[in-house]
Amino acid sequence: MANWKFNLDQKQSVATSFTAAVAGFLVLVLIALSFFIFIRGGGFFWPQNIQTIIYQQPDGNYQTQFVKLDAKTMRVGEEIMHYRYSSVQQLFSGQLTLKKSSIISIEEIPDVVVVELKNGGTVIAQFLSIMDASGNTLGLEKFDSVQGEINQLIASVELIRQGELADIHRALASLDQRGVKSDAPARVKLAKRFYELQDALKDVEGILTGYALTVAFADGSTYSINLQDIRELRTPNAMSLKDKLASSFAAFASFISDSPKLNNTSGGVFPALFGTIVMVLLMTLFVTPFGVLAAVYLHEYAPRNKMTALIRISVNNLAGVPSIVYGVFGLGFFVYVVGANIDKLLFSNELPAATFGAPGIFWASLTMAILTLPVVIVATEEGLRRVPQSLRDGSYALGATQAETIFKMILPIASPGIMTGVILAMARGAGEVAPLMLIGAVKFAPALPVDGEFPFFHLQRQFMHLGVLIYDGAFHSQNIGNGSSFIFACCMLLLLMVLSLNLIAIFIRNRLRKQYTQN
Amino acid sequence: MLKLFEHDKLDVNNLSPEQTAIEVKQLNLRFGEKRVLEDINMLIPKNQVTALIGQSGCGKSSLISCFNRMNDLLHGCEVSGQVIISGSDIYHRKQNVATLRTRVGMVFQKPNPFPMSIFENVSYGLKLQGVHERRKLDDAVEQALRETGLWKEVRDRLFESALTLSGGQQQRMVIARALALKPEILLLDEPTSALDPLATLHIEELLNQLKKQHTVIIVTHNMQQAARVSDYTAFIHEGKVIEYSDSDSLFTMPKRKQTESYITGRYG
Repeated sequence: MANWKFNLDQKQSVATSFTAAVAGFLVLVLIALSFFIFIRGGGFFWPQNIQTIIYQQPDGNYQTQFVKLDAKTMRVGEEIMHYRYSSVQQLFSGQLTLKKSSIISIEEIPDVVVVELKNGGTVIAQFLSIMDASGNTLGLEKFDSVQGEINQLIASVELIRQGELADIHRALASLDQRGVKSDAPARVKLAKRFYELQDALKDVEGILTGYALTVAFADGSTYSINLQDIRELRTPNAMSLKDKLASSFAAFASFISDSPKLNNTSGGVFPALFGTIVMVLLMTLFVTPFGVLAAVYLHEYAPRNKMTALIRISVNNLAGVPSIVYGVFGLGFFVYVVGANIDKLLFSNELPAATFGAPGIFWASLTMAILTLPVVIVATEEGLRRVPQSLRDGSYALGATQAETIFKMILPIASPGIMTGVILAMARGAGEVAPLMLIGAVKFAPALPVDGEFPFFHLQRQFMHLGVLIYDGAFHSQNIGNGSSFIFACCMLLLLMVLSLNLIAIFIRNRLRKQYTQN
Repeated sequence: MLKLFEHDKLDVNNLSPEQTAIEVKQLNLRFGEKRVLEDINMLIPKNQVTALIGQSGCGKSSLISCFNRMNDLLHGCEVSGQVIISGSDIYHRKQNVATLRTRVGMVFQKPNPFPMSIFENVSYGLKLQGVHERRKLDDAVEQALRETGLWKEVRDRLFESALTLSGGQQQRMVIARALALKPEILLLDEPTSALDPLATLHIEELLNQLKKQHTVIIVTHNMQQAARVSDYTAFIHEGKVIEYSDSDSLFTMPKRKQTESYITGRYG
């Protein structure tokens, strides 16, 4: 054994297995990360079963509660259960932390309902009855049809409000403007119609408040919920796997299409998703032409001297500048200098209220464009470098000028490389949080940056961003339960968004590559 | 017999202006410190195939690239002297280089099809000239491809990528691409060195056809090829034209010792 050495084959296999192990570890980390995010994020949408537990309180009394298990933790060798429940005192946010040993029994009864309210709250309780407007008591199976009636009523109310009532308001306002006397017949006629409609609305609203859902909490107390406040009602314990899956997808759909509620801990994230996408697209719109043209100059036109080398090094180093520095630059330069001057020149009638002199999505995208500029420049230069000299010669030999050669021949061939840079820039831009918080991304934005109101693009507006939402949620939610699930759901969505943006870009790149390379 | 043959041959040192395609006067080319071409004086006859032969690095490729100023693209390349095409010096400062290159086409050693369709390849030059009418482009592409004998092979796949063609077809398409511009002069820089014998034969046959319309100048280091395809041959050695005459006399009875050594294979 003393002279034992690795022979060549063994050395080879040691090298192979070592590198393979490192690569395998990497794959494992990747799988773990996406698995973790998707399990925790997906859990947010899963209609979890509601348990009925009986437990012993510290004073020795026994208590029953309908609970949803949020998490399990270990503390000093004992399992701690974190539950969420509802009671008359704490309708939406009852939290229960119990040692496992203090729980005496756990069972699941089928008629426990989870009621999601339109304001974002959730009530967990046992179903008692549904009462319709005429005072009939109905069973749980009638809920869907009753809710259908209610939605029709609500729609009719909205129709009156938005339609005739709004017209009367406008007519009255125009009468006011023309100084028509208050007892003029036209005005009296309108007023009469106005009161008629008001009465009709009151009647409908009266009918609406007649609908109620009565539930009981575990301690026996009953609670009545107005049916028009309910967004969704589920009976998770009675649902089959298929129902649960369907319910999860429906929950995901409303998650990406609703607005956040209850201080960004429940409801949907549509404004944040929309804000992120608009910001990334705007950023791409700025960064692509800038980056490509800069790279074309650096690679095709610039003389090969020290100055060019210096510029190239600086560009590469820009990629390493901490992102918060860009945020401060964006705030200090774009918002306070450029924005303030734009306000002075173009929006002076609105001063001192700032239009562009305040953080907003335009400045945010511009700052992110500068942040991602080096990525695009480096990738584009790499793409340009890969265009063979023989093709350039071929183009020149056919009487093309340098500009024609660059724009008709070289750039199309380099386009897959450019796309790679744009993909990287988009992914970076979508995930960045720190600079955005300084220059326009907020916890809650009252309006979207793009909407139906003229001029449709409101680039001075502040916006919501998924990353900022996650950051905010992680910092401000004290409980480890539902709030963190919401964060994981946001994380999952951010991941999905970046993934799908990348997939689209990769698809385009592959099509370009197929077009411009052999086979 | 022999006399009859010699009768068609022109004396390359004494061409009339109508017979001349290119007049090279006192052409010098240097790369930084290195003199690549020294005092070249040549008259290249119109509508004939002229071959430039010589060792690798003797300057024959540099000389041919002087004729459409492709050497302008090379860093540190200086040219003095005159190259007169159709009565004007192409090195005159008022000469538009892009226009010059449409009149003097060039084909390189390795086929360099653009990664586009065959049609786009052949119409590339015309589109640059501002021709966008579909019918004109169609006609020009068809004519250029017919001239190179490629039309029958590719007419059903004009809109497929040019990269799907074989090497020989690619090179003929590259020639067609140059011909689409109807150049007076066609420069070929070792056009067959990357091709197989059959493809080479195709190209050589093609050259004979082309000289009816164009003046052809070909650089080759294959002497059999030069003897086969060219009417006139110049032997270049270390940046100088050693001997220049009609191919038959150059290859059968070279006047200079160096030429004889080279064509008999004693060096090069």
